[in-house]
Amino acid sequence: MSIYTVPYSALAIEASTIKNELMRAVESVLDSGRYILGPEVTAFEQEFAIYCQTKFSSGISNGTSALHLVLRAIGIKPGDEVITVPNSFVASAAAISLAGGTPVFVDICHCGNMDPQQLEDAITTRTRAVIPVHLTGRPAEMQAILDIARRRDLFVLEDAAQAVGAELNGKRVGSWGDAACFSMHPLKNLHAFGDAGMVTSNDEVLIARLNKLRNHGLLNREQCDFFSFNSRLDELQAAMLRVQLRHLDDWTATRRNLALRYNDLLRPYVGVPDEGHGERCVFQTYVIKAERRDALKEYLNANGVEALIHYATPIHLQPAAKELGYGPADFPKTMEHVGKILSIPLYPTLSHAQQDHVAALISTFYQSN
Amino acid sequence: MHVKYSYLEQQFAEVDAHFADLRKLVASGEFTLGPFVEDFEKKFATYIGVKHAIGTNTGTGALTLALKAAGVKPGSEVITVANTFIATVGAIVAAGARPVFVDCDERYQIDVNKIEAAITPETTAILPVHWAGCPPELEKILEIANRHAIPVVEDACPAVGAKIDGKFAGTFGKVNAFSMHPLKPLNVWGDGGIVVTNDDKLAEFLRLYRNHGLVDRDHVEIWGVNERLQPFQAVVGARVLDTVEGLVEARIRNAKLFDAGLKCLESFIRPPSRPVGYREVYQLYLVTAVRRNELLAFLISRGIEAKVHYPIPIHLQNAARGLGYKRGDFPVCERQSEETITLPAHQHITEEEVAYTIAKIRDFYQ
Repeated sequence: MSIYTVPYSALAIEASTIKNELMRAVESVLDSGRYILGPEVTAFEQEFAIYCQTKFSSGISNGTSALHLVLRAIGIKPGDEVITVPNSFVASAAAISLAGGTPVFVDICHCGNMDPQQLEDAITTRTRAVIPVHLTGRPAEMQAILDIARRRDLFVLEDAAQAVGAELNGKRVGSWGDAACFSMHPLKNLHAFGDAGMVTSNDEVLIARLNKLRNHGLLNREQCDFFSFNSRLDELQAAMLRVQLRHLDDWTATRRNLALRYNDLLRPYVGVPDEGHGERCVFQTYVIKAERRDALKEYLNANGVEALIHYATPIHLQPAAKELGYGPADFPKTMEHVGKILSIPLYPTLSHAQQDHVAALISTFYQSN
Repeated sequence: MHVKYSYLEQQFAEVDAHFADLRKLVASGEFTLGPFVEDFEKKFATYIGVKHAIGTNTGTGALTLALKAAGVKPGSEVITVANTFIATVGAIVAAGARPVFVDCDERYQIDVNKIEAAITPETTAILPVHWAGCPPELEKILEIANRHAIPVVEDACPAVGAKIDGKFAGTFGKVNAFSMHPLKPLNVWGDGGIVVTNDDKLAEFLRLYRNHGLVDRDHVEIWGVNERLQPFQAVVGARVLDTVEGLVEARIRNAKLFDAGLKCLESFIRPPSRPVGYREVYQLYLVTAVRRNELLAFLISRGIEAKVHYPIPIHLQNAARGLGYKRGDFPVCERQSEETITLPAHQHITEEEVAYTIAKIRDFYQ
């Protein structure tokens, strides 16, 4: 049991609502004796590609590996630069470094995602790819980013780890770039009961290469085309993901309703994540921008509401990024966001009463302080 | 009679206890690392007798992490064999290093007399494989490695439960790797791996590196990876671990039946020598056979799922073309790739099936 009356997540409660379906799926994998890259992975790949409005997808062991493998697949090598944002989960940049490339950061715009103008300015002769992140489940400005990338001949890899089902102008994330990566980590809207990831693309050759990259570079049981990794999507997780995918649209609709309800409740006190023109956000995290953020966080936590910061230290200021040579003055917009952002609980099983409780606390905080 | 190579449906025919465990996991919501993974790690560490066990997403990942912990970096050389599963070498390349092969001996293990000649100033680790579940001559390997101050990393992927003189595989090298792939002695329902070490500092690095380099939720110390053992598989692994000694003993019993039964055919087909004090776990029951390919086809036609591990040694794979090896470089390994065959001898094979297989082999040769 959580010590919070409104905990940040409610995974066990969510799982309990579909437990029998999940257990049946697990049982059928078990009975099949096929535990590695079997029919469930193949079926989920087909269903997920359809869901994301792409032709193909490839099941990978986790979202980080999905990013890493796509960068390997397009041949990123030492000296190559890959542009992304500093206000993401560390994996967006770590994957570039793992693949041998150099992460180059650009600042965000008002919406919290990559600023296309900054992207243009950061491109050098060594730039090979750009990774816009659909942070919190809000689509990045894909049209502007694609226009620039096409002009400069860059590979566009969407980091859609937090954004399954999000849309821009009616077109799903994951279908905009040359490829897209998804995470099915337990805190994601469509999640595994452990780690899982996916890559979507319309490029058959790229997907075929990924399918080898994730499985030791093997052409078949006996022939190895190139030395590679083991980054396969788990058959069991695939079976459980297929169950979840059937519920995803309902869950997303509930999440969106709750988020829009939060927006109305909280608008008088804090900056709320309104949807921009043409955007359909899926609110993997519900992030407000608050004055006196740290005091508010402490107040909420002390009153039983688990609020978190995603992410308190931007990637360019992490010890891991030391050799990249960035400093605290580099990305003003990111730094401004970092000081104000606060993630408050949002998930499909959150009740209106819980929401009202959170809103009342926030209102009290600002009215009495 | 149909003698099956895979035993998973039989091994997991009774799953109620597993399902009870899994229901607990699902009810807890602990789907990323957490108590189920920690419990399994402690249990495994206790079983083989090491200080730290760190669960990884795969055996390949366990190998890569072990090599990195041992200090392997871009430009390093790592010595291993060419008769192993491709992941041994894939892990070396993933760590940024160059694989250097040495030939194997008549037990299908690394030839300890050829290691020293392969050592260069760039050699950063020796990676002997417990091929087929049989320990290599670790005492001699350690003696050579210590003399050159090079760490040994055991690829114990196929060898949970194997021992030399009562000491478990995975407790000899500085930092060592296991796989829990479904066809391994300790198996889970998908991929899983374990790195083990007695070194506190290395364990700390391994835990950090497998989880994005995260010291805590907000602080990244090093660029890391996501190579976490799935709690789901940890739960399965913990229960299978309770049975693993029994599974290994059953495999040993079947291997002994085969060894004895093939004795009268030893001019055609023979197991390798089995030195005293070596407890093999027979992840593969490998033997050397005359007219191997014909025998393979014959056995398959008689319903016996024999296999070859593997017909193409790694130095002759396309993937190795940049390494500069050619046919003839490792004559013993190359000969074995043409002569060895794997017979189904796993824990669920019955005495009857052993007798049937031996009878069919006799039919073939006589």
